[in-house]
Amino acid sequence: MSNQNILEINQISKNYERKIALSSLSFIVEKGELIALIGPSGAGKTTLLNLLATILQPDSGEVIVDGKPITQYADQKKRAKKIGIIRQQFDLVGQLAVIHNVLAGRLADWGFFKSLFSLFIPQEKQVAMKALERVGLPDKAYERTSNLSGGEQQRVALARLLMQKPEIILADEPVASLDPARADDILDMLTKIAKEEHQTVIASLHSVEYARKYFTRLIALKNGELFFDLPAEHVTDEQLQDLYQLKELK
Amino acid sequence: MLSFDLHKRKVLTLFLLLLFAWSLFGVNWQEGVMHSSGIGPAAEIFAAMFTPDLSLDILILAIESSWLTLAYATAGMSLALILALIIGILASGVLASGKRSRTYMKGSFRGVLGFMRAIHELVWAWLFVASFGLSPYAAIFALAIPYGGILGRIFADMINDVPEEPILALKATGASRLQCLFYGYLPSVKNSMISYTMYRYECAVRSSAIMSFVGLGGLGYQIQLSLNDLHYDEVWTFIYFLIILVILIDGWSNMLRKRMQL
Repeated sequence: MSNQNILEINQISKNYERKIALSSLSFIVEKGELIALIGPSGAGKTTLLNLLATILQPDSGEVIVDGKPITQYADQKKRAKKIGIIRQQFDLVGQLAVIHNVLAGRLADWGFFKSLFSLFIPQEKQVAMKALERVGLPDKAYERTSNLSGGEQQRVALARLLMQKPEIILADEPVASLDPARADDILDMLTKIAKEEHQTVIASLHSVEYARKYFTRLIALKNGELFFDLPAEHVTDEQLQDLYQLKELK
Repeated sequence: MLSFDLHKRKVLTLFLLLLFAWSLFGVNWQEGVMHSSGIGPAAEIFAAMFTPDLSLDILILAIESSWLTLAYATAGMSLALILALIIGILASGVLASGKRSRTYMKGSFRGVLGFMRAIHELVWAWLFVASFGLSPYAAIFALAIPYGGILGRIFADMINDVPEEPILALKATGASRLQCLFYGYLPSVKNSMISYTMYRYECAVRSSAIMSFVGLGGLGYQIQLSLNDLHYDEVWTFIYFLIILVILIDGWSNMLRKRMQL
C-alpha cells in the first residue's frame, strides 16, 4: 500500500521572520493524482512547492517521497528522477537553441563530455524531436528559444520535462503569464502528458476555473493551513467563496 | 526624505561649479598655458595632417609596421582571452560547491585578476623587455596579462549577472555545476562576451602601437622616429594607418554582432 503513496507530507511548518507561511500541514498524495493547489495570495502555495522542490527546508515536520525522507535525495541527479519542476516562462535559457533546452532534461543522465559534445552535435536527437512533436513544436528545434512566444516557451519547458521523466511534476503557476487560450492549451497538454506517463502533478494555480477543469483533486490553503482537500467535483461554490473572502472589517 | 536628498545634491553641484569657476582665476593665462615657442611646431604638425607622406617607401614601412602592431595585438589578445576565460569563470564562483568555498574562490581569483590589471601594459612591457630583451614575447605577454585581467573581471561580472531562474531550472533537471556552466551561464553571456572582447581587441591594437615606443617595433616606434626627425608628414601617414586598423576591427566587430542577432 505504501508504495502507492508517492508523497507524504507530515506536519510540516515553515515561518518567515514573524510570519507563519505553513503551519503543521499534512496530506498524502497517491501515484498518478493531479492536484491543484489553490488559495489566496500569501496562503503558502509557493512555500509548499519550494519545500517539495527542496529549495527551502521546513522548520519542522517531514516530507516523504516514495517511501524515503526527502532529505535522502541530496544527490540532485537522483532527485531529478523523482521530482521535476515547471514554473513561469523565464525558466529556459533564451540564447540556446530550442533543442538544447529540451535536451537539458537529459543532463542528469549524461556525463560532462557527452553534454558538452551535444552542444555541437545534438545527442539523442530522435528522442528530443519526439518530445517536441508531442508538444506541437517539431519545426522549431533549431530556433533560438528567446524568439519563441510565451506559450511556445512553456511548451518547450514541457518537452524538457518529457525528457527528464520525473515521477512527480511540481508546477508553480505554470500559466500565470499566458493569455486564457494559451493557458488552456498548456494545462491540457500538461495533464494529458502526466496521465500518459503515469506521473503525479502538483500545480499551484490562481484560477479556480482551471483547477476544476483539469485536475482531479483540489487542495485549498488559507493562511498556511489546510482549508479543504476534496476531489474536484465535490468542491462547492460556497467553499470557494469562503476561501477567497477577505477578512471582514471589524 | 527623497526630495530633501535631491535638494542636497543640487547644492553640492552648485558648490562644485562655483569651485571650478574660482579655480580659473588661479591660472596664469599669459604664460602658463602654452609654451610660447610651441605654437609654431603645433601649427606645422596640424598642417601636416592634410599632407601625409604617401611615398612608396613610407607606405611599405607603414604596412609592415601595421602588420607587426596587429600581430602583437592579436597574439596578446588570444592569450588574454584564454587567461580571462579560465580565471574569469573561476572568479565568478559558479563552480564552487558551498557558500564558503564560493566566497573563498571569488575572493582569491578576483584578487589575481586585480593584480594582473593593476599594472599597466606599458609597465609590464618595461619589465619584460628588461628580462627577455626586445623580443616579440615581451610585447605579447605585456599585453596578455593586463588585458586578461580586465576581460576576466568583466566575464566574471557578466556570469554573476545571469538571471537566476533558468539556472535553478537546470539544477532541478539534475545538471551538475559544470553542466550548468555550459548550458546556462556561458550561452547566456556568450554574445556580450564576444562584443566586449572585440572592443578590447580594438584597444589592444592602440596599446600595441603605444607599446612599441619601448622599442619593440610597430607603428608607435615609427611615429616616434619620425617625430624625432621632425617629419610630421610621415607621422600622419602612420597615424592614418593606425586609424584604419581600428576602423577595420570595429567593422569586423559590427559584422559579428549582426550575425549573432540572427
